[in-house]
Amino acid sequence: MVDIVPLSSYPSYIDLLPSIQTCNITNLPENYFLKYYLYHALTWPQLSFVAVVRPKNGYSKHTAPGGAATASEQYPKVVGYVLAKMEEEPTDGVAHGHITSLSVMRTHRRLGIAERLMRMSQRAMAESHRAQYVSLHVRMSNTAALRLYRDTLGFKVETVESKYYADGEDAYAMRMDLTDMWMDWAEIERKDRLRAEKEGKDADEGEEVGELGTEKEKEKMVKVRVGRGLGVGDLVEKNESQTQA
Amino acid sequence: MPQPLSSKDASLFRQVVRHYENKQHKKGIKTAEQILRKNPNHGDTLAMKALITSNLGQQEEAFAMAKEALKNDMKSHICWHVYGLLYRAEKNYEEAIKAYRFALRIEPESQPIQRDLALLQMQMRDYQGYIQSRTTMLQARPAFRQNWTALAIAHHLAGDLEEAEKVLTTYEETLKSTPPVSDMEHSEAVLYKNSIMAEAGKLEKALEHLETVGHRITDVLAVMEMKADYLLRLDRKAEAEVAYTALLDRNPENSMYYDALIRAKGIPDNDHKALKAVYDSWVEKNPRGDAPRRIPLDFLEGEDFKQAADAYLQRMLKKGVPSLFANIKSLYTNTWKRDTVQELVEGYVSVPQTNGSTEGEANGDNKDFLSSSHYFLAQHYNYHLSRNLTKAMEHVDKAIELSPKAVEYQMTKARIWKHYGNLEKAAEEMEKARQLDEKDRYINSKAAKYQLRNNDNDKALENMSKFTRNEAVGGAMGDLHEMQCVWYLTEDGEAYLRQKKLGLALKRFHGIYNIFDTWQEDQFDFHSFSLRKGMVRAYVDMVRWEDRLRQHPFFTRAALSAIRAYLLLHDQPDLAHGPLPNGADGDADSAERKKALKKAKKEQERLEKIEADKRAARKAASTKGGDGEVKKEDPDPLGNKLVQTQDPLKEASKFLTPLLEFSPKSIEAQNLGFEVYLRRGKYALALKCLSAAHAIDASNPTLHIQLLRFRKALDGLSEPLPPQVAEVVNAEFQAI
Ligand SMILES: CC(C)(COP(=O)(O)OP(=O)(O)OC[C@H]1O[C@@H](n2cnc3c(N)ncnc32)[C@H](O)[C@@H]1OP(=O)(O)O)[C@@H](O)C(=O)NCCC(=O)NCCS
Repeated sequence: MVDIVPLSSYPSYIDLLPSIQTCNITNLPENYFLKYYLYHALTWPQLSFVAVVRPKNGYSKHTAPGGAATASEQYPKVVGYVLAKMEEEPTDGVAHGHITSLSVMRTHRRLGIAERLMRMSQRAMAESHRAQYVSLHVRMSNTAALRLYRDTLGFKVETVESKYYADGEDAYAMRMDLTDMWMDWAEIERKDRLRAEKEGKDADEGEEVGELGTEKEKEKMVKVRVGRGLGVGDLVEKNESQTQA
Repeated sequence: MPQPLSSKDASLFRQVVRHYENKQHKKGIKTAEQILRKNPNHGDTLAMKALITSNLGQQEEAFAMAKEALKNDMKSHICWHVYGLLYRAEKNYEEAIKAYRFALRIEPESQPIQRDLALLQMQMRDYQGYIQSRTTMLQARPAFRQNWTALAIAHHLAGDLEEAEKVLTTYEETLKSTPPVSDMEHSEAVLYKNSIMAEAGKLEKALEHLETVGHRITDVLAVMEMKADYLLRLDRKAEAEVAYTALLDRNPENSMYYDALIRAKGIPDNDHKALKAVYDSWVEKNPRGDAPRRIPLDFLEGEDFKQAADAYLQRMLKKGVPSLFANIKSLYTNTWKRDTVQELVEGYVSVPQTNGSTEGEANGDNKDFLSSSHYFLAQHYNYHLSRNLTKAMEHVDKAIELSPKAVEYQMTKARIWKHYGNLEKAAEEMEKARQLDEKDRYINSKAAKYQLRNNDNDKALENMSKFTRNEAVGGAMGDLHEMQCVWYLTEDGEAYLRQKKLGLALKRFHGIYNIFDTWQEDQFDFHSFSLRKGMVRAYVDMVRWEDRLRQHPFFTRAALSAIRAYLLLHDQPDLAHGPLPNGADGDADSAERKKALKKAKKEQERLEKIEADKRAARKAASTKGGDGEVKKEDPDPLGNKLVQTQDPLKEASKFLTPLLEFSPKSIEAQNLGFEVYLRRGKYALALKCLSAAHAIDASNPTLHIQLLRFRKALDGLSEPLPPQVAEVVNAEFQAI
């Protein structure tokens, strides 16, 4: 029995990161440091999912070191994962998701695991991040993946990127529209406003709060600037130029 | 007091700082030197120069400079701050914290120093210190949401859930209006608060909170999961049923949802009919899924089981799903089910072959069904609960005959040979499987693994190198280290250990040890990064995970093997020179031993030479490329320095201490702990391992031998134990 669970939202399966890294390097030539997985898990916790074999006696919640669980209940076997993100600086200016890596162990292929992982990730991209579409690259010779993306999920080939992979193979750049899974944020906000109006004639709008508000704007601007060129950011760029999926 | 500079030099100094911030290190040093020419004792300038020097990787020089700077200007916060940063770069966090504290005492208002201090306190899990720092930072800039969230995290991790929740609420109350739905920082902070309530056991309140705010949180799945979880725990069954139904609509491939749904519906475990109906309804809604078809096989019995199993097996075999057996084998603890499955699939292959086609089934499909069924039976008879290797081999050969190109079938043939105990043949057959699909890394990895099981380290690496970045420093092996390929390093090390090549074995286990250190270090950047991104639930989970990092089975396994290697080295010190033929370690002065040692040493020299040549070749090749950053080659690639340690048992504790701390429930860990402590004469600790092992499994055979050896060791002591120790030992020993 294989279960599909979130990597780092709720409930969190972040303990499985080393096993996910193993799954990746067992199945694919494009590999990453653990920190790159952490970077995904901690920047877009809604988007990545894991496929695990259900332990005989069920799962155990993590307790203090040396808790009652046996290793196999606490660290179920990882047989697949999808590692996904939002494109940080989309060249087309359109918010969209990207599949960094997807693989399933050969012992568990053709059970529908990859399909389910992809669907979960796509939906989260649309709901949490309003991604217009999701993009990915695939080797032109990878028929299994191509069938999955194009025939099962409905991706379209966007372009061919020549010599995309380190070994010189070309890639199909594929994408799929996600807007039909968007939530109606405007409607949510409209209802919120109505409710606030109904409840809140007595809402406190003192001077002090107003001040805080303006200062907050200022800080926000600074925040964006400081946000660049940090250790993690460095890692990302370096890592992406070195390995591509 | 900062030493005064002329206004021209003061402006130069500001330039130094700017150059440093922009990572223009050469310019920075040049400008600093310009100032120092006129003011040779200027502490701050010297400190900045030290900092830049450190960033260029020259730690020793940097430290000397920073000390000089401090000597010149003990009252400068810059000098102290830099001193701390240098310690931080060396990962000496205790000293770094001390230096930052001095700097802060001089310049209590400095935000950068305060921030650097806070980051280290978090890294060191000094939560009380962190609370203090974050409180100060919040007071300095209360309009900044991050500062509130950070303080809440500090309280949360320190265990004060009430205070954490209060801090978050206080911030929320300053908000004039609800932020837009697109504000993910807000969305996450709200969910974070909710998770703190639940963690504090206030489920009612958490649920109520979720019901008022949940609709506008964009991590929809998390909200659904939390709500469903609270409802079930609160025993609000009808609502829980709705919640889990909604979750299953999203993801029908999660057995925990079905478990919860059934609890919510209150269906008793033995009402198989009702249970089956639930699963069937999900099959209908989601005909492509596996879970609702597969799970009922766990509880159905008798004829019902047989029917369901028949349908399940046939469907998968017709589709040719290679993972069918992997998905079935957990049923085999029930011997009746095991036999029923066997009977069914044996039935499929014994049906006489119809020539021509039966209804709708072309000949090809029939052939595939047949080969899939033989393949299934091969795995069935290869499995430890239903093993019959002769039959397994027959079936796999039939399957291969029908589909000679199927990688999986060939893989299974290799596994059968493994179970026959013929590792050489197993590796050979797995290599054949690899050749059937050279583009698939999975089968490549498997082939390499089988070669390692056969102690053929060189061939394994050659296979791996078909997928590694061989231009990496250290070649394919370098890439496997850099990409943190723990499984390979473990198998490689264990293969060397079996061959008693202890240097290389230790090399690999230390490689894994270092990877875990890196993983622990990796969290550092996220202490600031995650606050900016606002994804704080995932961050807190990460911090807690890091605290139990070395519980991971990868660490346990490598540590056990490393300790075994050190024990072997302690017991047979000659192995430091390489493997020796059997019997050569008998008589210390025998001519045979000397001869063997000489030979081993020669072999060691030969290997070192090969390795040196390889390095030279790589160096020559890489200078041609000449791409900026030079990475250092490992000076001890064969582990010869590691194996020449004077005190193997002391080295072993590097692995043993975290092993016993994080995996105290591993009986092997306790067994090996005993071996190390006994040899070191630490009787109380040895006994502690015995008691722990006893508590895990009183009938463990190793434990029984160890108890006898312990008794004998105590009886044979030339000097009695100190009275206190003796008392403890006796009392404990009686208890076991
Ligand atoms: C590609 C891969 C992830 C598919 O995983 P999977 O869990 O076996 O895929 P699924 O069972 O979800 O397959 C869904 C559909 O994809 C198609 N598909 C999957 N594998 C296929 C194969 N080997 N041949 C033809 N079609 C295939 C089928 O249409 C399948 O639906 P079906 O089983 O109902 O016919 C897996 O083969 C893999 O890990 N390969 C190696 C790594 C890799 O290539 N990753 C992709 C990099 S871009």
